[in-house]
Amino acid sequence: MERNSRKIGVVNLLTLVAAGALSIALGRFANSLAGQVASIFFGLGALISLVSLIQMGLEERERLEKLEFDELTRDKASASLFNQAEAEAFPARRAREQFDRWVLPIFTGLLVAGEIAIVIFAWKWLRETTVVAPNQPLVGLALFGVTALILFVLGKYSSNLARLDGQRLVRPSASFLVLGAYLSMLTALCIGLVLGGQARADWWLARVFVGVIALMGIEGVASLIFEIYRPRVRGKQTRLVYESRVIGLLGQPESIFTTAATALDYQFGFKVSETWFYQFLEKALAWLVLVQLGVLFVSTMVVFIEPGEQGLIERWGRPRAEHILNPGAHLKLPWPAEKVYRFHTDQVQTFTVGMVPEEGAHEPVILWTVKHAKEEFNLLVASRDQSATQSTNRGGVPADLLSVSIPVQYQIKNINSFAYKHVNAGKLLEQLATREVVRYLVGVDIFNIMSSGRKAASAELQQLIQTRADEQDLGVKVLYVGLQDIHPPTKAAPAFEAVVAARQEIESKLRAAEGYAARTVTIAAADAQKRINAAQSYKVKKVSAAAAQAGQFTNQLSAYTASPEVFLQRAYLMALSRGATNARKFIMMSTNASESIQIDLQDKVRTDLGEIAIPKPK
Amino acid sequence: MRSNKLTVTVGVILVAIFFLLLFTFQVRQTEVVVVTTFDKPTRFVQEPGLGIKWPYPIQKLYHFDKRIQNFEDDFEETYTSDNFNLLAMVYVGWTIKDPQQFFNSFPAGTPEAAQPALKGLIRSSKNAVMGQHTFADFISTDPKQLKFVQIEKEILDDIRAQALQKYGINVEFLGIKKLGLPESVTQKVFDRMTAERQREVEKLKAQGDGEAIRIKSAADRDRDTLLADADAKATAIRGQADAEAAKSFEVFKDHPELAVLLLKLNSLETTLKDRSTLILDERTPPFDLLRGVNSTNR
Repeated sequence: MERNSRKIGVVNLLTLVAAGALSIALGRFANSLAGQVASIFFGLGALISLVSLIQMGLEERERLEKLEFDELTRDKASASLFNQAEAEAFPARRAREQFDRWVLPIFTGLLVAGEIAIVIFAWKWLRETTVVAPNQPLVGLALFGVTALILFVLGKYSSNLARLDGQRLVRPSASFLVLGAYLSMLTALCIGLVLGGQARADWWLARVFVGVIALMGIEGVASLIFEIYRPRVRGKQTRLVYESRVIGLLGQPESIFTTAATALDYQFGFKVSETWFYQFLEKALAWLVLVQLGVLFVSTMVVFIEPGEQGLIERWGRPRAEHILNPGAHLKLPWPAEKVYRFHTDQVQTFTVGMVPEEGAHEPVILWTVKHAKEEFNLLVASRDQSATQSTNRGGVPADLLSVSIPVQYQIKNINSFAYKHVNAGKLLEQLATREVVRYLVGVDIFNIMSSGRKAASAELQQLIQTRADEQDLGVKVLYVGLQDIHPPTKAAPAFEAVVAARQEIESKLRAAEGYAARTVTIAAADAQKRINAAQSYKVKKVSAAAAQAGQFTNQLSAYTASPEVFLQRAYLMALSRGATNARKFIMMSTNASESIQIDLQDKVRTDLGEIAIPKPK
Repeated sequence: MRSNKLTVTVGVILVAIFFLLLFTFQVRQTEVVVVTTFDKPTRFVQEPGLGIKWPYPIQKLYHFDKRIQNFEDDFEETYTSDNFNLLAMVYVGWTIKDPQQFFNSFPAGTPEAAQPALKGLIRSSKNAVMGQHTFADFISTDPKQLKFVQIEKEILDDIRAQALQKYGINVEFLGIKKLGLPESVTQKVFDRMTAERQREVEKLKAQGDGEAIRIKSAADRDRDTLLADADAKATAIRGQADAEAAKSFEVFKDHPELAVLLLKLNSLETTLKDRSTLILDERTPPFDLLRGVNSTNR
C-alpha cells in the first residue's frame, strides 16, 4: 500500500510540474495573466509534493526498520544487539525524527518567505501590467479546460486515497491538484469572459490567485507559530506543518467542517468538535450564511452619501427622475436594479501644469538654479528680441524657453455634465488648461510674463481655462490658477541671476560715484567760501590799514609843519634804527678819497664741518 | 424536511439570479451596446435601461462608451515651412458617431483599440499642416502673425471627415497641448539665452560705468565752477578793498613830498630788516656823530 502511495506521490509531483510548465507557456501564449499566476501556484504545489515524497521515503524506511526489529526481537540470541544506543539501533527512525524536527520547519519557513515575496512581486507586476487582448483565446480556453479535467480526476483520486490510514502524505499534493483544477477551470472561464467583452476579468482573476497565495503565506506563518505552542501527545501522529488547510478547504469546500473540526481537535488536544456549540454551528451555519447574504442584499437598498459628496443613481442604467443624491441617507432598489455613483463635488481638486511635483518634497528655499520638481517641462515662449533678430534673417530660433509650474484648482459644479459628458473630465480639464498655458506663452514676451505681466496672466489664464471648460460642458468651476513658479530653465537661470548681480554691481558703482560727487562739491563749496572769506579779510585789513595810515599822515603832517627839519631827521633816524638793527653794517671812517678798500662780504665756512663723523650704513 | 425547504429556496434564488444574468443586460446612460447574434451585429441599443438577450454564446454584448473620449498623441518632431524643427503634441476628444461602423472597425470595442488608428490619422494631418506654417505662426509676440488657433482648426478639419468616414468616429475637438524643441536645439537655445543675458550684463556694466563717470565729472565741474566763482568774488572784494583804501590816501595830497618821503622811509625800514649789509661812511647820520671821535683819536 505504501509503495502505491509513493507511486501516486511521484505521479502527482510530475503532474504538478507539467501543469506549471503548461500554465506558464499557455499563459504567455494566450496573454492570460491568471494563467501565469496559476503557474506559480503549481510550482509551490510541486515543491510541497517533493517534500512529501521525501517524507514518504523516510517513513517507509522507518517502517521496514521496525519490521526488521520485530523479527529480530523474536530471536533471543541476538538480544544483546539491542543493548546498544537507540540511535545506533534505529537509524531510519532517527533520520525521520531529525527530518521532522529540522528540515520540515526550515522548509516551511522558506516556503512562507517565498510565498510572501511572490505575492509582493506579483501584485506589483499586475499593477504595472497593461491588459492585452488574448491571443488565440479558443486554444487557451480548450487547453486550460483539458488541464483542469486531468487535474480534477487525478486530484480526486489522490484525495480519496489520502483518506485511507497511512496515506496522509498524499493529501498535500492531492489538495494542490484539486484546487489547481479549479484554478485552471476559472482561467478558462475567464478567457471566455474576456471574449465576451469583460476585458479586465482576467486581470481581476489573476489578483484573486495572488490573494490565494497570500492566504497560504498567512496560514504558513500561523502554522509555524501554532506548532510551537501545540501540546505534544506522545505517540500521536504529528500534523504536516507545511500542509495548507486553506488549499484543502478551497479544493474541497464540502469538507469545511471536517477540516475545521480536525484542526481544532489537533490544536487544543481534545475533541472540540463534540462540544454543543460546535454541533449547533454545524447545523445552523447554512441558515446563518443565508441570513447573512439576505442582510447583505437588503443593505444594498440604503445608501449613505457622505458630506462633500454627491451621488448619481441609475435604475437599470437609466438615471432616475431625481437622480442626484445629496449628503444623507437614501433608499433605493437593491443591487443590481439601482446603482449609485459617488463624486466628491465639494472637494477642491488640484493638478499642476508644466511640472510634475515631487511627492511629499518640501524645499526650504526654492531657487531657479536648483531643480525643484520631479519633472520640469520647458515651455516655448515668444521672445521680442529674437523676433527682431529673426527679421534680419540670422536664422536663430525666435523663441525662449521657460519653466513654469501652474497649479489649477477646481470643483465639480455640475455632476451631470462631469459624469455623463466625458469619460475622464478631470483629464480633459488638465489638457485644456495645459493648452491654454501653451497658447498664452507663445504669444507673450518672456520678460513681460516673468515680471509685470504675471498677475494679469494669472487672471487671464483662469478666465481662458474656465471658458474652454464651459465650451466643453465639463461641469467644473475653476477656482484658482496660480503662476507660482515661472522662471528660466535651470541651465539658463545662472545667466539671468548674473544680470541681477550686474545691476547690483552697477548700483554699487553709482553710489560710489555719487559719494565722490557729494564730497567733491561740498569741499569745493567750502574752499570757495574760504577764498571769499580771505578776500574779505584782505579788504578789511587793507581798508583799515589805509585809514590808519591816512590818520597817521595827518598827524605826521602836523608834526612836520611844526618843525620840518627835526621831523624829517627823526623820521629818518627812527626808520634806520628799526630797520637796520639786525643788518650787518660796515662804517667807513677813512677820509682819504684815493684809498681803495676791499671788503669780503662772503660768509665764512665753519672749519669744523670736515670733522663731523658720518654714521655707518645700517 | 426543513433542510429540503432551505435547499429548494436557495436553489430557486440561485437559478433566478442565474437566469436574470443570462437573459438580461443593462445599458447605462453613458453607453451604447452592440448585440451580436452568432457574431453578426443585430442590434444597437443606445437608450439606457434593461434589455433582453439570448444567453451566451448565441448573443454577445459589446459595451461602447458614448461619452467624449480624450487622448493625446506622441510628442513628435516635425518641420516647419521655414526649416525649423519643432516638437508638438495634440489632444483630441472623440465620440462614437456610428456604432455599427465603429464595431466593424474595432471589434474589441475599447477606446484603446481605436486609438492607434486615430493616432495614425492625427500624426499624418499634424505633420502635413505644421509643414505648411512658419515658426512664427506658432510662436510670436505679434498677435497678427500668430496662427495657433488656425493651425489647430486646420488639423481638426483634416482628420474630422476621415475619422467619421473610416471609423464612425466624430472628432469633437483638438488642441495643441505641448510645443517644444529637440534636445540639441534646446541646448543651443539655453546657450543663446545665456549669451543674451551676458550681453545684458555687459551693457548694464557699461551703462553703470558711464553713469558713474558722468556723476564724477559733473562733480568736478561743479567744484571748478564753485572755486572759479569764489576766486572772482575774492578778486572783486580785493579790488573794492584797494579802492576803499585809495580813498583814505586822499590825505597825502596835502603834502605829497612828505608822503613820498615817509613811504620811502617805511619801505627802507622794511627792506633793511632781513639779511642786508650796509656800508656806510661816517657822514651818514647818525654815524656822522663818529666823525669827531675819529679826528680826536688821530
